[in-house]
Amino acid sequence: MTALLEIRDLHASVGDKPILQGINLTINAGEVHAIMGPNGSGKSTMSYVLAGRDGYEVTGGDVLINGQSVLEMEPDERARAGMFLAFQYPVELPGVGGMSFLRAAVNARRIEAGEEEVDQLAFVKMVRAQATKLGISDDMLKRAVNVGFSGGEKKRYEILQMALLEPTIAVLDETDSGLDVDALKIVSDGVNFLRAPERAMVVITHYQRLLDHIVPDYVHILSKGKIRKSGGKELALEVEESGYAGIDDAA
Amino acid sequence: MLALTMQPDLRGISPQGAVRQQALVNWQATGWPGPRVEAWRYTKLDKFVAREMQPATSVQSLDQPDIPVPEGAVILRFTNGILDRDCLGGLPVNVRASDLGDDEAALAQLQSIAPDNHPVSTLSLAAMTSGLLLDITGEVDTPIMMQFIGDDAGLSAHPVIMIRLASGAKAVMAEWHASHLALSAPLIGIELGAGARLDMAKIQAENDTNAHIAATGVVIGENAVLAGFTLSMGAQLARLETHVKMAGEGGDCQLSAVYLGSGNQHHDVTTYMDHAVGHCNSNQIIRGVLDDHARGVYQGKVHVAQDAQKTDGQQMSRALLLSRKAEADAKPELEIYADDVICAHGATVGELDDTQLFYLTSRGIPYTTARAMLIEAFLLDAIDTVENEVLNGLLRPAAEAWMAREAAKER
Repeated sequence: MTALLEIRDLHASVGDKPILQGINLTINAGEVHAIMGPNGSGKSTMSYVLAGRDGYEVTGGDVLINGQSVLEMEPDERARAGMFLAFQYPVELPGVGGMSFLRAAVNARRIEAGEEEVDQLAFVKMVRAQATKLGISDDMLKRAVNVGFSGGEKKRYEILQMALLEPTIAVLDETDSGLDVDALKIVSDGVNFLRAPERAMVVITHYQRLLDHIVPDYVHILSKGKIRKSGGKELALEVEESGYAGIDDAA
Repeated sequence: MLALTMQPDLRGISPQGAVRQQALVNWQATGWPGPRVEAWRYTKLDKFVAREMQPATSVQSLDQPDIPVPEGAVILRFTNGILDRDCLGGLPVNVRASDLGDDEAALAQLQSIAPDNHPVSTLSLAAMTSGLLLDITGEVDTPIMMQFIGDDAGLSAHPVIMIRLASGAKAVMAEWHASHLALSAPLIGIELGAGARLDMAKIQAENDTNAHIAATGVVIGENAVLAGFTLSMGAQLARLETHVKMAGEGGDCQLSAVYLGSGNQHHDVTTYMDHAVGHCNSNQIIRGVLDDHARGVYQGKVHVAQDAQKTDGQQMSRALLLSRKAEADAKPELEIYADDVICAHGATVGELDDTQLFYLTSRGIPYTTARAMLIEAFLLDAIDTVENEVLNGLLRPAAEAWMAREAAKER
């Protein structure tokens, strides 16, 4: 069986600085993988490299979705191929209306899939249904994208986008940062609801607490640009107890 | 420069009346501003000044112009700067139209409020191709749209229009410029009586070889409101200069503008806001988008007289460069002699934000669409300050059409 996402000996630099130093990871449909690691270990860089952000240069290795390399693809092409990145710091877009943004994104996916574009009325219904589950008010939907949103609202809005775009590979970058306990629960419920046999998730986090809510199938510890240790969900608890110290030597 | 070699060629011109005769003398004495005139340092006219042209004297018949018309609007059409007088019959009863050229007092009034030291203030008075005086009383419920067309690259157009709103009068007006001439040089005067309100939009969509040099003078009376907006997107070289005098307490002036440039276009928006009395507000939101080798200029001065306490004068200019070769210059100035005022100004020049583009494209939105969405957001922020629906309905699609053309460009 071809893996949904395969990362092969991935090396990447930002500017002249090498950050990822040979990452190997195979993720199958239906699996949830957690990537844990200390600050500066390369977690966010990995998420940006997967999404194809400019300025994150791949210097070696490959990233494959369903066996196809995506390194030559632009961010929008990767997204339409099923990749979704929930940002650690969602970006404010003053003047860009939330609904037209969501609709443009959903329609881009549909056009790619040869489906009909969703009409406005049906779309509003679709968004409302998902928004209600995530505790997102109509007022928030009407505002410009992420403008005037609290930290927690921004994270919920990311999950709303994920729900609407139905990605096959979702990368959640520090989705727990800046969330209080209640917001964490709402966001986690939203994510759990999207767990599906045809979908894989990569949950990037510094802390174990998110993994109490989104229980992973596998946990990988990233440090100094390399995965140093992999295991089941119990590995997260181990890190919680003894910290990241000593992990580097385990590889 | 010798008067005989000056362009436009005015040798055939013999203006009627003292005001226009004096204007001709003044024009011949000063002519176009030279390279060292500070007010024109960002907009050099040397290339354009050499063009051969003469003021239009007749009208050719042209196809119906492709200019959108708001529902129920009265159209006043100027071809080569010459008014089609048949249009005047459509004006509502509370808009009285007369020949400005016959009204020495109105000409003198226009001259007194027209931008000082501006070449068009003298040139177009002298070379006037049509003079129109509109006296408006009460509330006019139909929009008045002035269309300016023409098709002769050897001609210059000098429409001169004085618009007077009596106390309490209200009107909605639009100017749409879509000529293919050597030069369009409209001179417009606006006087708002106490409590009057004028909503006005100007769309400069001239042919891309045209020069468009416009001078507008405005006097705003007590508690009167001017809600003015300019969209400058056509012409090879455009300079739109407006001088406003806040002459009565409680006056309010919105004087915002968007300029959109591509190719080798040059857009200049220049304003002078004179707070001669206190308790008035003025607000200018300027947005520019420049692609290719285009250049944009905003010069805005807010002058607050010593007795003009409680003045609120704001101006903010932002330019977005879509190409490394584009250039924007901004010169916002505050000159404040009163001590109890709220005034602010600012100017920024920048490119599209990479992080915003990445965010949009990471959602599957194609790069060109993402780019267009950000440009639109940047512009609509300004255009949507136009509250009047009729005018918003003219401005927004015009800007959107420009953006669509931009988005369709190969990159």
